[in-house]
Amino acid sequence: MSHPAGVDEHTADTSSYDRTGDVRMTSSHIVGLVARREILTRLKDKGFIVSSIFIIVLIMGSVVFQVLIQSGASSVAVGITGGPQYFSAAIEEQADALGLDAEVTEYDDESTAREAVQSEEIDAAVVDGNSVLVNESLDDALGAAISGAINGLTLAQRLTDEGVNPDILQPVALDVMSLQPAADAADEKGLVAFVSILLLYTLLIFFGQFIAQGVVEEKASRVIEVLLAAVKPWQLLAGKIIGLGVLAFAQLLIICAAGLGGAIAFDVITVPGAAIATVVQVLGWFVLGFTLVAALFAVCGALVSRQEDLQTVLLPMTLILVAALVLAITAGQNPNGTLAKVTSFLPALSTMVMPVRVATGSVAWWEIVLAVILMLATIVAVVRIGGRIYSGALLGKGGRVKVRDALAAERVS
Amino acid sequence: MLEFDGLRKSYGTNLVLDDVSFTVAPGQMYGFCGANGAGKTTTMRIALGLARADAGEVRWKQQPVDLEVRRRIGYMPEERGLYPKMPVVEQLEYFGRLHGMNTAAARKSASLLLEGMGLGERSKDALEKLSLGNQQRVQLAAALVSNPDVLILDEPFSGLDPTGVDALAANLAERRSRGVPVLFSSHQLDLVERLCDAVGILAGGKIVASGTVGQLREREANRQLRVVIPGSDGRWARDLGYVRVDSDRDGEVLLQLDDPGRDQDVLSAAMTSGPVSHFGWRQPTLVEIFREAVAA
Repeated sequence: MSHPAGVDEHTADTSSYDRTGDVRMTSSHIVGLVARREILTRLKDKGFIVSSIFIIVLIMGSVVFQVLIQSGASSVAVGITGGPQYFSAAIEEQADALGLDAEVTEYDDESTAREAVQSEEIDAAVVDGNSVLVNESLDDALGAAISGAINGLTLAQRLTDEGVNPDILQPVALDVMSLQPAADAADEKGLVAFVSILLLYTLLIFFGQFIAQGVVEEKASRVIEVLLAAVKPWQLLAGKIIGLGVLAFAQLLIICAAGLGGAIAFDVITVPGAAIATVVQVLGWFVLGFTLVAALFAVCGALVSRQEDLQTVLLPMTLILVAALVLAITAGQNPNGTLAKVTSFLPALSTMVMPVRVATGSVAWWEIVLAVILMLATIVAVVRIGGRIYSGALLGKGGRVKVRDALAAERVS
Repeated sequence: MLEFDGLRKSYGTNLVLDDVSFTVAPGQMYGFCGANGAGKTTTMRIALGLARADAGEVRWKQQPVDLEVRRRIGYMPEERGLYPKMPVVEQLEYFGRLHGMNTAAARKSASLLLEGMGLGERSKDALEKLSLGNQQRVQLAAALVSNPDVLILDEPFSGLDPTGVDALAANLAERRSRGVPVLFSSHQLDLVERLCDAVGILAGGKIVASGTVGQLREREANRQLRVVIPGSDGRWARDLGYVRVDSDRDGEVLLQLDDPGRDQDVLSAAMTSGPVSHFGWRQPTLVEIFREAVAA
């Protein structure tokens, strides 16, 4: 041991800086600082903002598309000229029975009705109650509504002519006993779940990429050396996941609120309660799924030193997400099949499959609880083991770090 | 006291540090010298918890250095690194806060440092927009922003122009005067000689010499006596039986004594052969000390 020289041994071991304003560095404070930086940096990043807006527009676009398709199919405009008494009311009534929203306009003569059809103001014009003018072909449902109206009116007229009260034609009121209650609601929940799953998939991939890129950036720029001299790896990891998680969740909330609001306003959804329940469920699964995916992507990012190498290590993770999406869509078609049942428990896959099963099939409460518990256990394991790989790999230099080496290089602190 | 005690580290079969021990006292500027690959960076990274020692430990105020202590250390890594796209003042503020400062103190310290480095007007620019020299200044500012109790700087002077060197030296001197121990590594031995109170020379993973520059000079084995007698040749010296002449040129003779105590005999002999214009022990430069220490 050598001896320091040229210095008074009694020199005080303290420097003369004022430390009165110092903050107690708890883990939550540090994680908060890291998360705050992630959020602020992303909000100032043009690339992030542009892609976020793109995703929002994409999702909103698909909702609007749904609205257009649905409204296009359910409403028709019919013109009539001549024909029996009460014709317009009869057409509307028949159309309504067939699930069509018909708007009937009366025209003075055939030529004005013909012009209206040609200019596509109306879908069809009924002339004198015996011929129909259309541009190309008559919609089946509309055709049925028109002929139903004509037949009904003609029959009533003949009965009246024969001295029979047409009221005898009043149908007997049926008591409807639904064996599969709210099939309509289930369909809508399925639609909402499908859109939500697509959204979830997009956001998980999108934010997973951002997390991984952020990790590589810190490694490639070597700022990691400065950071890890003051911060524990798991604190850095947690701060990143929370920071980007807040952004991702905010984005999801915006999309869900706008999408759900729009869908309810435009009557794409007629059972808002069920749709909202599905969305809330998806939000819950998103929190779990995001935590797992973010941790996995961050660990993968730590294994490479250059952005160019990132896609290679992310590929397996991306494939898992693609598989989850495909399985979720499959589950939507056959929610009670064995494949859907099994995959709705497998962590990572369950994030997307379980919400679809819940929305479209029948799921017992314990199944959801079990899936959540399995997911939580996986998150804990990934954060534990992944955290070790992350911290070991962060300080590795050059090319790709092997997982085994990263685990062996675990730090002291 | 910042104590490095018996550090040992190997990567695979390659022994990088072999029982490295030295001490940096408060208010001391300690120059860490050694050839490339001698183990300087590894020693510093162990102190910062960025590498794990196989044996030995680093202590500050008699306590093993843990994360709590590390927050009070200002560190400049050999491989520079900050966030390329983040405005410089925000980075400094962030690092200040990660080291325990409150927001206001971190902001104030960051601005003061940048102004002091003549970068006040660039403070809102992204780091990557600055010249390499200015990026280097910001890197140093990142090490200083939290007003650390200890400074560990890996090659802080490399890449700086002479003005930058002077500014950094002045800044470090100010920190030292507040009682901060400063450990820095450098290849520029003239700089180390000029700035440092103490020097440690690392070769092959071992500390081969450590102490003040004065102590190292005294310890120098082949001390030379320099005698100048203008116009004379060196025969007077060669005729003396108890000296070995290293060089003889234009009346200047460098010689070594078997017995250093006989220097006055040499002076008497010199005076008989002509007017002596210089007589004295030659001060070896740090470069010479380094060469000898590393060669030994």
